[in-house]
Amino acid sequence: MKKNLKEILSLDSLKIGYVSGKNENILLPPLNASADRGELIAVIGRNGIGKSTLLRTLTGLQRLLGGEIFYSGKSIREFSRMELAQKVGYISTEIVKVNNMSVYDLVAMGRFPHTNWTGKIEKIDHEVILDAIEKTSMSSFCGKFISELSDGERQKAMIARILAQDTGIMVMDEPTAFLDVAGKYEILYLMNMLSRKNNKTIIYSTHDLQMAISQSDKIWLILDNKLIEGAPEDIMLSGAFDHLFNSSTVKFNSEDGTFSSTKDTLGNIFIEGEGSKRYWTEKAINRAGFKVSKEKRIPYIIVPSESDYSWQLVTETGILRFITVYELIASLRGTISGPI
Amino acid sequence: MKAVKQNELSVDPDTGRKVRLIFSGLLLLVVIFLILDIFLGSVSIKPIDVIRAIFTHSHGDFETIILKFRLPKAITALTVGVALSLSGLQMQTVFRNPMAGPDVLGISSGASLGVAFVILGFSSNITPESLNGLGNWILVAASWIGAGAVMLLIMIISSRVKDIMTILILGIMLSAGISAVVTIMQYFSNETMLKAYVIWTMGSLGNLTVNQLNVLLISVSAGIILSLFSSKMLNALLLGENYAGSIGLNVKFARAVIFASTSILAGSVTAFCGPIGFIGIAVPHIVRILFKTSDHKVLIPGTVLMGGVVMLFSDIVSQLPGSESVLPVNAVTSLIGIPVVIWVIFRNRKYTGSF
Repeated sequence: MKKNLKEILSLDSLKIGYVSGKNENILLPPLNASADRGELIAVIGRNGIGKSTLLRTLTGLQRLLGGEIFYSGKSIREFSRMELAQKVGYISTEIVKVNNMSVYDLVAMGRFPHTNWTGKIEKIDHEVILDAIEKTSMSSFCGKFISELSDGERQKAMIARILAQDTGIMVMDEPTAFLDVAGKYEILYLMNMLSRKNNKTIIYSTHDLQMAISQSDKIWLILDNKLIEGAPEDIMLSGAFDHLFNSSTVKFNSEDGTFSSTKDTLGNIFIEGEGSKRYWTEKAINRAGFKVSKEKRIPYIIVPSESDYSWQLVTETGILRFITVYELIASLRGTISGPI
Repeated sequence: MKAVKQNELSVDPDTGRKVRLIFSGLLLLVVIFLILDIFLGSVSIKPIDVIRAIFTHSHGDFETIILKFRLPKAITALTVGVALSLSGLQMQTVFRNPMAGPDVLGISSGASLGVAFVILGFSSNITPESLNGLGNWILVAASWIGAGAVMLLIMIISSRVKDIMTILILGIMLSAGISAVVTIMQYFSNETMLKAYVIWTMGSLGNLTVNQLNVLLISVSAGIILSLFSSKMLNALLLGENYAGSIGLNVKFARAVIFASTSILAGSVTAFCGPIGFIGIAVPHIVRILFKTSDHKVLIPGTVLMGGVVMLFSDIVSQLPGSESVLPVNAVTSLIGIPVVIWVIFRNRKYTGSF
């Protein structure tokens, strides 16, 4: 195998898990994976499979139970706590709640491995802190207490904190879990930017598969029997995402990266028309439990074109017109029962 | 560009100036209350006589009162205030519990158990009079061990139970359990031991011998030095163990150092002055309100000064200046501390898990 100079992290037959008493409880079969400088990597897997344990093991908060983790070729076992803190930063799912702590103070915590024993913030530390705050566009919140921030702002402050820690790798455990949609995209945009512009390797776990697929350079897909790594597209084409669902009622569409239920169809229906109106009508039809057929047979739907503003449902008894998709679907459900 | 930014941000010189101003104010208050504590008492002594007593070496009644009673008592009050407040601050940070304090979580009870073992358990030869020299160190060490053991127990409990109120209730249970053990020990001890122990439990700020005061001063100084050494670690622990570890803190080492200094601070005070309530829990909160910061580089010196101020004030009030009678100092500290504690409880209803 060719030696990859950009490689910053590699897992070699890594065994992760918990130690309780004398028993080692190993969660997964040995894991092999790697990360390059500047890559945004999503860790995907079902609940409880060990994503958090893997991330905690990477940051040295949990002991590895076998195998190796190499940071730029050097084993994690050879690092002291302080040295490791200069290699890898961490954001957990735990929400930090401290009264009277300003955003500046929180970000300054990131300088912990760089300051002397008194923790004095020197001029250079101060500049790094301000830079981190600016990169996360938190400058206007600098003197605000973290208890007064919204969830999204606090998460940005936490990211500023690992930026100030000045590590090549950032590990984040579900960084967008408790955020609203706008907050999610803002954080993901920030992560994206940090990996592109600042060459940070970001490894984050998420449950949002579609977001992970569209935004990550690489995916570590953790299944019960192995870890599969690769570009989202490679994994999608290999069909491995299907293994995430152990029920047969949900299916992953490798054509467009969406999910659909595999429940029985109520019938086939033809749609006439083009464009975004057709796309969304198809979605609605699918959701209602119908399949889109390729054969034009009554009843069928004509989506609005420029000259006509209503949906038409052509049936044997005549043409029904609807102003909204909602009405169309309601009518379909009401009039048609059983296969058409 | 950087210079412009600095002015916009929170770390501007104004904040630094404000902090220095509050520090100066607190230092001034410590001096004023220390003087007042010496000047005021159940026996009215003219200020000029007080000054003469301190600076001349005559041997009158006033001199005896000032040098043998009031001065040691004032120094004791100052030391006790500093030690209890600082131990409270450290416990609140380590346990991430705003209601933590040496008396509330049973640390003081643990210390008194240590003392009970020495006085009731070992030898009938120990009397208050024989408790000098090495005896004092044995007493104080037993107290540290007792305090440390309870700290450890609370730590184990709070790693399993996250709820603040549950831990408080367990702390109360622990205290009750310890007093039960002490009661049983009293039941089986002989008269001399019992008398020695009862006298100890009545201990107040004014009963310390010179030797005991020395032991107290040395121990508390050691505790303060350890605490100052821990300020960076305490800051990291504010974020919780996981984050503290991820930014490079050796959590086990940090805990050991902080446990040691807390046990020394709370244990030493309890060994010589008995349990004094509510100072340890209340003062750190007053300091946080005053400085509006979570940085221990500010909070530790702030707590040292404020602890001294509050305890000296309590001592002055307890002497009811101008009257013949003296109140137990515990009553005064409770009346000062309880409103603060109630305020913290109410504020925390909307923001649990923080302080």
